Amino acid sequence: MTISAPPSPSPSLRPSPIEQRRRGALRLTALLAAGIGALAWLGRSSDPAARPLTAGPLTLGAAVAFTGNANLYGQDQRTGLAVAERWAQQSAPGGRAVRLQLEDGASDEASAIAAFNLLIRNGVIALIGPTLSQQAFAADPIAQRRGVPVVAPSNTAKGIPQIGHFISRVSAQSSVIAPLSIDEALRRDPAIRRVAVFYAQDDAYSTAETAIFQKALAARGLTPVSVQRSQLADNDFQNPITAALQQRPQLVVISAQAVDGGNLIRQLRELGYRGGIVVGNGLNTPNIYPICQRWCDGILIAQAYSPDLDTPINRTFRQLYRQANGDRPPPQITAQAFTAYQVLVEAIQRLQRQGGLSGVSLGQARANLMAELLRGRYDTPLGPIAFSPEGEVRQQRFYVAEVRMAPGGRSGRFALVRERTLPETAP
Amino acid sequence: MIEALLQTLLNGAASGGVYVLVALGYTLVFSVLGVINFAQGALFSLGGYLTYLLMGGRIGVNGALPGWGLPGGLPFWLALLLAAAGSGLMALLVERLAFAPLRHRRAEPLLALITSLGAGVVLVNLLQILMGAEGYAFPQHGEALAGLPDALQIGGARIRTIQLLLLLISSVAVLGLTLWLERSRHGQALRAVAEDPATAQLLGIDSEAMVRLAFLLSGALAGLGGGLIGMSVSLAGPYVGISYGLKGLAVLVLGGLGSVPGAIAGGLLMGLAEALVPSAASGWRDALAFGVLFAVLLLRPSGLLGRRLVEKV
Repeated sequence: MTISAPPSPSPSLRPSPIEQRRRGALRLTALLAAGIGALAWLGRSSDPAARPLTAGPLTLGAAVAFTGNANLYGQDQRTGLAVAERWAQQSAPGGRAVRLQLEDGASDEASAIAAFNLLIRNGVIALIGPTLSQQAFAADPIAQRRGVPVVAPSNTAKGIPQIGHFISRVSAQSSVIAPLSIDEALRRDPAIRRVAVFYAQDDAYSTAETAIFQKALAARGLTPVSVQRSQLADNDFQNPITAALQQRPQLVVISAQAVDGGNLIRQLRELGYRGGIVVGNGLNTPNIYPICQRWCDGILIAQAYSPDLDTPINRTFRQLYRQANGDRPPPQITAQAFTAYQVLVEAIQRLQRQGGLSGVSLGQARANLMAELLRGRYDTPLGPIAFSPEGEVRQQRFYVAEVRMAPGGRSGRFALVRERTLPETAP
Repeated sequence: MIEALLQTLLNGAASGGVYVLVALGYTLVFSVLGVINFAQGALFSLGGYLTYLLMGGRIGVNGALPGWGLPGGLPFWLALLLAAAGSGLMALLVERLAFAPLRHRRAEPLLALITSLGAGVVLVNLLQILMGAEGYAFPQHGEALAGLPDALQIGGARIRTIQLLLLLISSVAVLGLTLWLERSRHGQALRAVAEDPATAQLLGIDSEAMVRLAFLLSGALAGLGGGLIGMSVSLAGPYVGISYGLKGLAVLVLGGLGSVPGAIAGGLLMGLAEALVPSAASGWRDALAFGVLFAVLLLRPSGLLGRRLVEKV
């Protein structure tokens, strides 16, 4: 038996070069179409928003700073979220189970975006965070595009809820709070005419807040005699302080974060400044005590939370906080993180009762939750709050506190000096 | 006018003193190995935390062992020296883990940049796990500077007392190191290895021992800087050393890679350049300081006091 070669096709049966190219192009097109189809199918099947909502526990995602410069706030926020979880277990038994997934949003925009993406892929129903306004401007648009509700616990810069209709916050914006402390400083010394302003120019929150401070000063007939810009990473302020002190200021107004601001206050006092100091929300944490120590004494700060508020929910919050953290009064950032969790859990429970979580996809459940969140009124440790249709917090009670350090300068407290009730529609 | 000039000089010298310490650490390692130890900033942070703990400071509520601290507390000066020694030992460990294995395999020197960066990140994260992220004030701040005023008036200019002390201690450390390198046998051996490792080996100098010595000293200098800054401005978290590490790196390049006098001149120039920025442009201080670096390197690519590299053909 011999194997003979198959007869070669006659030249007339062989496809022409044009036909060969046409067939090749068709094959390539079909392959590409199949690939795109497969990718689209895979993408659809991996998008949790399209899946039906299961009856199991709902997951809230929180992206707060575990690392980086903002981790001082992140630690306070984690404490607030942990306290809120205990509160939810005690106060809402039998409701829809909610669990919390924490991710490190770090202190930069890229990490916040990565944390948000991860949590969204994991199918969270809503997000809490990120820690800094600067990060929110980068990460919130992602949640907005994916239709995931965000409650910001500590973003106070102008324009956060305006990022989109899925974005809200429980942290009153600086324009509402900041001027209150200026008023208190002027009430104490009406003769103040010379004001020096310091702010961290590489921080969205600080630059937004200093604009508000400077606008408030101008509205009260005061023009800064010196405006000094610094960076968040700075800790030696000899140069800007000596430059500012040459202008003999009677009041210093600081917009910075806890670490740089704490060092600035200490060095201002060490270099001989004895006048009043008003600080912004970035220094609204007991974590400044170890940094500026005895020199923290006397600084004025407007707050959205007072541990002295005597309401049932604040008493519960204080008690749960004390169980884990000793006798220290809870800081504002912790209270705001608690509030962010609380409003979401309460909105989920209402939605559950209304049937808004039954027979819907996760994406629809997220949209329903956002609508319900904005409809509700909440009794929180911050006082009664609600949301504007844009997602801006509507809060009436605000406070001005003075830092009073214990002898030796090792510990201190934010002592309430004035309570202010503002209309909910204040800018 | 003279007051303002004096104030500028004092401000510049006070900042520059710390930059010199960090840059000298880089210089020592670079001179013997030709690579940059990116863990230097983390060793700076470690020095600050060790000083704090040795002075009797306690770990804060967010640390791994809240409330834990060493029994009793050492005086600042002693704690500072021991912390510098501790940072030096940690630098030795970094050398063993991040540099030696690559060196022994004759790996590309660029790889050591990455391994040292990794070692630095791990160290900073370990500090954060152990100590938490909160800021720490040195416990005996009042006692350590007892009887001294917060600030001193010098010819109409004001400077914080602690910054003046920081400048003095930095100067003593730099002078001591320079004398040691010039006069002592080990110092001369280190310089010989920096000059030509192969010839130094032929002359019976143990190059490996000199590399270890360079790491020990560079870590000690970083630790000293960290302890001094901790005393001056408190410890603002485990990342406190990173910005100093970056500034020290710039000073290393400005002064001339591997040049000890260059590191000193570069550090002081960098501090002075920052201080010269007018208050109205204070936000551009870093940009202007690095602009000086840029201009110097354009005119002298080898840095202020670095040697020009001649390619042998």
